[in-house]
Amino acid sequence: MTIHAGHAGAPRKALPPRPSVLRQMWTSRADYLYVLPAIVVMLIVIAYPVYYTIDLSFFKTPPGLQLKDKIFVGVENYTAILSSEVFWKVTLNTIIWTVASTLIAFVLGYAAALALHRDFAGRAVLRAILIIPWVISAVAASYIWKWMYHSDFGIIGQVLVQLGLTDRQPNFIDNVHTVLPSLIVVNIWREFPFAMIMIMAGLQTVPEQLLRAAKVDGASAWQRFWHVTFPHLSGVSTVTILLLAVANFNSFIVPWITTGGGPSNASHIWITHIYELAFGRQRWGVAAAYSVLLFIIVMSLGYFYVRALSGNEKKEEGP
Amino acid sequence: MTSTSATEAPRSRRRIDGWRWGGRIFLVFMLLYTALPMVWMLLTSIKSGFAAMQFPPQWWPNEPTLASYQKLLDPQNSVGQDFLRFFWNSLSVSVVTTILAVAVAVPAAYAFSRFRFPGRKFLFFAVLLRNMFPAVIFLVPLFILMRWLGLVNTHGSLILTYLTFGLPLAIWLLKGFYDNIPYQLEQAARIDGATRFQAFLYIVMPLSVPGIIATAIYSFIGAWNEYIYAATFLTKNEQLTLPVGIQRFFSENTTDFPGLMAASFMMSVPVVVLFLLLQKYFVRALTEGAVKH
Repeated sequence: MTIHAGHAGAPRKALPPRPSVLRQMWTSRADYLYVLPAIVVMLIVIAYPVYYTIDLSFFKTPPGLQLKDKIFVGVENYTAILSSEVFWKVTLNTIIWTVASTLIAFVLGYAAALALHRDFAGRAVLRAILIIPWVISAVAASYIWKWMYHSDFGIIGQVLVQLGLTDRQPNFIDNVHTVLPSLIVVNIWREFPFAMIMIMAGLQTVPEQLLRAAKVDGASAWQRFWHVTFPHLSGVSTVTILLLAVANFNSFIVPWITTGGGPSNASHIWITHIYELAFGRQRWGVAAAYSVLLFIIVMSLGYFYVRALSGNEKKEEGP
Repeated sequence: MTSTSATEAPRSRRRIDGWRWGGRIFLVFMLLYTALPMVWMLLTSIKSGFAAMQFPPQWWPNEPTLASYQKLLDPQNSVGQDFLRFFWNSLSVSVVTTILAVAVAVPAAYAFSRFRFPGRKFLFFAVLLRNMFPAVIFLVPLFILMRWLGLVNTHGSLILTYLTFGLPLAIWLLKGFYDNIPYQLEQAARIDGATRFQAFLYIVMPLSVPGIIATAIYSFIGAWNEYIYAATFLTKNEQLTLPVGIQRFFSENTTDFPGLMAASFMMSVPVVVLFLLLQKYFVRALTEGAVKH
């Protein structure tokens, strides 16, 4: 990614000779001062843990954090993971969780942004209310929903009973079949506002003249959306979907606080599973191996993320 | 779309109305989905423990009571003492994190926006990628690192960690802001004899205030709501921040739903108020920083 300067010397013969990288670095040495604080913090808190996790994933570890007594076992942790049934169960859960949460949150947020774009009385108040779930603590949100799903006194179940839709209070989060969808509802509640804010911001950049011109030309509301607004928002949409996907893939608090991954792993996703392996069962080596696998997945998602983010930058840098 | 047919106008207006009604119904649905859980939290928090657990449910409590709030805010009893201490811990950690995050992100974002030093792109992506790593990967190694630094059971461990997860988006937002401030403004100032730093301080900084406010809100909310690191790095009761403190407390008192809802409400108040007061900066920062290029 350092193409910009890193490989400048070698292949491009047409260009006039450029100063060597080291010289460039030396002449711009003062510039590094500005980024130095950020980089130092990052190095401590990212580079070291990444190195450490990879290292630990090849060891069998005794319980407790007495990591001096670890034993080298090669790739045994990895083979153990890939051959376990729980791994595939949790992976499937994670895929359902990430895809469903991301898509539904995005669509709801997108639609809400469109519906809020036109001015009407009370719009600002409504917008503010819709954003609140995103702002409040995930721990508080988890407790609110856990209480609403409660198997005896949960309001959702009580309403269903009173409406005569079921004769018994349904058990949303203690049931292997309903727990994951129930938690996805909570997660979407927390995340659609983010998509909404991003799309609202994007909508402000859609040129008004273009929409008016389309209207004059007889384009219907749908045609104006589909041919003008939608393509205009494709950049923001990509970034938003990627950010949501990453956030969902990495989410922890909602499943952990509401169910702890249960019942019988039905709501375990990767992160909660790793956390339980490490801090619940103290299997540090296996948890580290899981983390490395996770890391690889996240990095490949990251590739698209960086491409989506830097797409705009390339244009601006031009010749 | 080159043909101009004015005859289509009435029909398309009727169609717009259909969309508008669809939009209204959808917004009502979203309002209910968003607000009902929060309303239920408030209603539960003003019930007695007995009233909260009844069938059929009491929608509006027969005898509304502020007992849960009194209990949580009373420094005389042990529950109140704990709650107020957690609140104070959360507040101090979040404020320090916010100040440091702005102090670190401003120069970094400025450099990423203005300078063309080798490795600039790589560093910028490294910063962004930090966003993508799940906290769990870092927990064990960071715990050991914090132990080595002697920071376990101090708020320093949290502040250092929160800084790093707040920084990537902060830098990204601010960079977008600086990209939109014409460099000519600074050049003009420098021709008039200002140093680069003076130009930055007097020309660029004031123009980027909305971006800085957005960065600050983002850092504050992130720090205020963080759970997983706080649950790992802090073991002493008197050090806990609100999310962990509330979780520990109610894992022992599993049936005090009014208390739990009151605590959840009070934990939400500071961030919601802050956000509502400053939301226009936040939305504007996203427009300037993240969307417009």
